[in-house]
Amino acid sequence: MTNLANGSAELGAAAGITADIRDRADPRLVLADRVEQLYSQLPLGMVATLAIGVIAAVELREGRFIELVLFWGTLLVVVVALHAVLYQGYRREPHKIDQAAQWLRWLGIGAFAAGATWGFAAAVFFPSHADERQVFLAFLLSGVISGGIPMYAASWPVFAAYAAAIALPFTYVLATFGNRLFAEIALLIPLFYGATVAIAYRLNGVFLEGYRLRRAYGRLTEDYRVLNQRLERQLVELEEARRQVEASGRKLALFAERAPIAVLELDGSGTVQEINHAAEILFGYASSELIGGPVTRLVLPKFHAEFESQWQRLVATREPIAGLKVKNPRRDGLTIVCDWTVTPLVNPEGTLISVIAQGRDITAQLEAERLKKEFTSTLSHELRTPLTSIIGSLQLINAGVLGEVPKDVTELTDVAERNGQRLLDLINDILDIEKIESGKLTLAPEVIRVDELVREAVVLNKGFGDRFKVRFEPRGALSEARVNADRKRLLQVMTNLLSNAAKFSPEGDVVEISAESRDGSLRIGVHDRGPGIPEGFRSRMFGRFNQADSTTSRQKGGTGLGLAICKRLIEMMQGHIGFEDRPGGGTTFWFELPCLNDR
Amino acid sequence: MPERPLVRICYVEDDEDIQRIVRMSLERIGKMTVEIVTDPMRAIEAMGAFKPDLVMLDWMMPGMDGPTLYRKMKELPATQALPVVFITAKAAQRDLDELKALGAAGAISKPFSPKDLPEQLRAIWKKLP
Repeated sequence: MTNLANGSAELGAAAGITADIRDRADPRLVLADRVEQLYSQLPLGMVATLAIGVIAAVELREGRFIELVLFWGTLLVVVVALHAVLYQGYRREPHKIDQAAQWLRWLGIGAFAAGATWGFAAAVFFPSHADERQVFLAFLLSGVISGGIPMYAASWPVFAAYAAAIALPFTYVLATFGNRLFAEIALLIPLFYGATVAIAYRLNGVFLEGYRLRRAYGRLTEDYRVLNQRLERQLVELEEARRQVEASGRKLALFAERAPIAVLELDGSGTVQEINHAAEILFGYASSELIGGPVTRLVLPKFHAEFESQWQRLVATREPIAGLKVKNPRRDGLTIVCDWTVTPLVNPEGTLISVIAQGRDITAQLEAERLKKEFTSTLSHELRTPLTSIIGSLQLINAGVLGEVPKDVTELTDVAERNGQRLLDLINDILDIEKIESGKLTLAPEVIRVDELVREAVVLNKGFGDRFKVRFEPRGALSEARVNADRKRLLQVMTNLLSNAAKFSPEGDVVEISAESRDGSLRIGVHDRGPGIPEGFRSRMFGRFNQADSTTSRQKGGTGLGLAICKRLIEMMQGHIGFEDRPGGGTTFWFELPCLNDR
Repeated sequence: MPERPLVRICYVEDDEDIQRIVRMSLERIGKMTVEIVTDPMRAIEAMGAFKPDLVMLDWMMPGMDGPTLYRKMKELPATQALPVVFITAKAAQRDLDELKALGAAGAISKPFSPKDLPEQLRAIWKKLP
């Protein structure tokens, strides 16, 4: 029962497929196939026509009708010759498919002409000949009609035209002969005609179906071939893509495996999936000990609750975390501090695949930072106290507090005082840089009038200028704009720029200071006539411990930190600092600060 | 500004070298009378005997630091009115703010210039009520 049902279902499916396939046949190609078949049978038809014609002419040649038989024979030959011309024309046609309908029409006309020639024979020779010749003619004509069926079956209208051209005159002659038997035969001929046309119509249908199927299967085969080629190409591409994915996967695995930082892959619940070699070394666990267990094994128990809430947030938001400092217990009981970057891996559908945690041991780095801080504090307090005594003692001697001192002695105490001062400057600069870079320097901004600031800086640095025999003078009208800045630190910047200008100016020269405000920005410039900045030094101008010529610091003092501090201070006050060659020689150092709008 | 000139200075400092320099600076350049106290625990007692116009306190000293000593002075009638100037190697804004909060008359940072020290003290003296 089931099998039967299945069988009929399969048959139904097959029929469906056949109908579907038939629709794929191109009707133009099917028509061309039928025309080709009709023309291919044409030579056979021509030969048969000539042979039958010759036999008929010989049989019908009687003295009285010899001219008529000759005329009919000639007509037959002409019709066959025209068919030969038609056949040749078709064979030479370069566009057989496009012109198929036209060639079918020509063939229809040719078939009608051939039929009409046989019809002529019936109309002319039947009445004129004796009984036995009439039987011969009747037999001949029915044979010629029957022979037309296979000849023209590929197109039933062609056969219908051909057969009608024979049957109509023959029927007429029989009906009008005056013999009762012949009149009865005349009634049968249309029946015979109808039957043959019906057979031709059926055959036409069979041919049509056959050609359609052939074309459809041809089309199907072609589609299949194209599909196969495409599949083959896609297979090659897929294989190539697979190789690339495999290669990048291997590369990634290598990165993680050989990386000096610990890499852990965790699932959404915080279970360790994979760890690299660096992680094994860092925490002292074998990978088999950690994989499959909770990552909290690497978190101190007292931080478990905090870790859990942070983990839940990470899984919920899927936002990566960087710079997470965590105290991690090692297998041997020691605790290290690691800097973690935690990145959730999410696929395009938004599903969390895993979480990648990368950790770097910063225990030693933190210890180094602590030592540095301790050292800085030592520098600050333990070095300043003895320096106070050294510089203080020398200043008292040099100030003449102890009365007259021999000139040789003051020369040396001068040197000692100057170098003590230099050491102090260096310590102060180092402390400043350290404070700025560790973010511990806080500014105390206040509203400052720029012209007052410049005049104050000139007064403060007069003594230093005198030492180098250089005068500081404001250039033009100083801007009265106001800035919001730290007065002490701004004066420190000014002092740095003025002392640099003094150090590098020729004796007896003037260092000019300008202050201009434009478009909400204040620009202070310090202009000297020194030797200028050497080309190779320009890019390092604001770096640390940089001096163009190291002998300068020995001769004129300076720590090489001044400009580095200036740059950082000005930038902390939202400004810029820079320098440029001064027209006519020398250098201009400038800095810009945003100024306050209200007047 | 007090009517009398600044003459008598009491300086509490544990470093003997700095003591010597300050004494020389204030006596020779400033023409002042100086009493140096090395042990901060005995400072209050010394002030009572010396009766200074102004007290200079070192910030960091063994035993008792400057701010602690200052708070102690504020508790005693004999010393609570004395103007105090701190000498400190600390220079951070936070520390200066702390000094002001304590009610100090002024602060001079280490290293100071002994040449200018008397002038600096007189400037602070002039600003006193």
